Amino acid sequence: MIRTQQLTKHYGKTKALEDLNLHIEKGQVFGFIGPNGAGKSTTMMILSCLLLPTSGTAYVGGYNVLTHPEEVRQLVGYMPDFFGVYDNLKTTEYLDFYAGAYFIPKSKRPGLIADLLELVNLSNKKDAYVDSLSRGMKQRLGLARCLIHNPEVLILDEPASGLDPRARIELREILKELKRMKKTIMISSHILPELAEICDQIGVIEKGRMLACGSVEEMALRVKGIHVLLVRVLKERERAARILEEHPQVKQVDDQRDHLRVMFTGSKADQAALLKYLLAEEVPVVDFSADKENLEDVFLAITERMGS
Amino acid sequence: MSWLERLRRFKGNPVHGKEFRERFRLRRTVWIMTIYLTVIGAVMLGFMYLELMDQSVFVPGEYRDFFIIFSGLQLVMIGFLAPGLSAGAISGERERQTLSILLTTQLSPLSIIGSKLISSLAFIGFLVWMSLPLYSFVFLFGGISPQEVATVFLFFVINIFFFGSLGLFCSTWMKRTGVSTVTAYAVTFLIVAGTGILIYFWAHFAAQLDWDLDHMLSFQLFVSLNPVYAFLTIFEDQLRNETMLKIDPWLIYACFYTAVSLLLIFGSAYLLNPLRRSRRKNDIIKN
Ligand SMILES: Nc1ncnc2c1ncn2[C@@H]1O[C@H](COP(=O)(O)OP(=O)(O)O)[C@@H](O)[C@H]1O
Ligand SMILES: [Mg+2]
Repeated sequence: MIRTQQLTKHYGKTKALEDLNLHIEKGQVFGFIGPNGAGKSTTMMILSCLLLPTSGTAYVGGYNVLTHPEEVRQLVGYMPDFFGVYDNLKTTEYLDFYAGAYFIPKSKRPGLIADLLELVNLSNKKDAYVDSLSRGMKQRLGLARCLIHNPEVLILDEPASGLDPRARIELREILKELKRMKKTIMISSHILPELAEICDQIGVIEKGRMLACGSVEEMALRVKGIHVLLVRVLKERERAARILEEHPQVKQVDDQRDHLRVMFTGSKADQAALLKYLLAEEVPVVDFSADKENLEDVFLAITERMGS
Repeated sequence: MSWLERLRRFKGNPVHGKEFRERFRLRRTVWIMTIYLTVIGAVMLGFMYLELMDQSVFVPGEYRDFFIIFSGLQLVMIGFLAPGLSAGAISGERERQTLSILLTTQLSPLSIIGSKLISSLAFIGFLVWMSLPLYSFVFLFGGISPQEVATVFLFFVINIFFFGSLGLFCSTWMKRTGVSTVTAYAVTFLIVAGTGILIYFWAHFAAQLDWDLDHMLSFQLFVSLNPVYAFLTIFEDQLRNETMLKIDPWLIYACFYTAVSLLLIFGSAYLLNPLRRSRRKNDIIKN
């Protein structure tokens, strides 16, 4: 459904995107993860025909975004990371405006708008002015706006950023519903746990390059055997880091100021041995614990291993 | 897409409908209309009063002058309102962060520009429209021909169109509404006062060198581009006959500024299109 080939975008000297190759099947939910400035929004804007790539091509539903923007626009519902609403409009008027912008016949609009408001749980707000809605509600209204022309593809740029936990859960439920409706969804975030649950595929991007891409299980396999250890020392943190780095089973050590984060490849017994070794070296260890292996750490591990 | 289909789609374009609603919900709009109507009403009442007091003397020329002065004032109003009303059309959407969404819909850049122009100018058109009773009144008392009234209205339309396109172009080009508004007014000022000053110097210079300005084509054309001059020639038949140009100066003005308006509109649509190929080398698509 979405395919990019050597997609590259430079802003002057900034290389926002370098040779990105992406392939998203129909009906898949693709999570696009990377830190701020990684190039997620740039990719999404190119796919929504809002930005010209420096080189490379992108296809949505088989249409080239550069040569067939009208067809692509009909297929894509795009939600920018930051967007405004027209004050002075009520939610139904707001949606009606965009329905007009897609030339949806007037007679079909009331039913369509009611259904969409129902879908995003805003039926009780149909007569409220748009600027009186909370951020979470605006975000959901934005989602309804994306869906007004019944697009097959949804491109959502950090839809959950700035939302409180409750609003996030509501958003996630709506996304699951959309997934059931067989929409192809591309969703970006700089926080992983947000996406892990609903995504079929995950792509990790940093500094304009795709570091890793695959199904959630595949990605978990790639980092299998890596454990993240948290080591806290009373003093001599730098010496401790040096000693750890020299250890053969340690992949990487990050100095996190109050603790050290250690990528360790050994077993539980090896962990015990490592602690013993540290103590033998007279490192004043006050805390030595295996971080709960949540997905975020796994992906941090991926990005850091591949990025370096 | 066929031409007719495009036109049908433009009619169905939701932008102007929304803009009308928004504009008429604004308090500022109500104020402008109130003040404008009060001024017009006062002028009309004053006019009627004078007419009733002074029934003995009938001087057609007086009404003529009155008509010219009043039309001139309306022209000033157009110059003041038109650039300002459209100078926020696109930059305002950009500032509200609604522009990118608008550009992902099926609305083409040209239809967005067209709708924006119509919606920002309809208001001035509305103000001019409201002054129509006054014109009929002036007309009733004579001293002015129907042709002149029609020409003046055509002249208004062209000016509204031009100054509106100018504001719209600035709004598309500049990122910020503030900058766009200042630029639009600066250009308006240059067109009115700037050309006036140039004409003044040119004329003085010519007088010293004994040039025959009446037979200098470049000067005649240049003078015609000044709105004040072009406006006045609508009422002065002899001005035209003295010079070598066989067409009315206001007609030159009209053609020139209509052409510029069209250029500005298509230029805006071009600038608004996110997929335009930028001339910068690193933005050219290599396939
Ligand atoms: N309009 C722009 N002009 C110049 N640089 C830009 C522009 N937009 C984005 N960038 C740069 O491109 C890079 C990628 O940005 P972006 O795609 O927005 O990242 P993300 O969405 O992943 O946070 C960043 O380094 C950013 O500074
Ligand atoms: Mg972004």
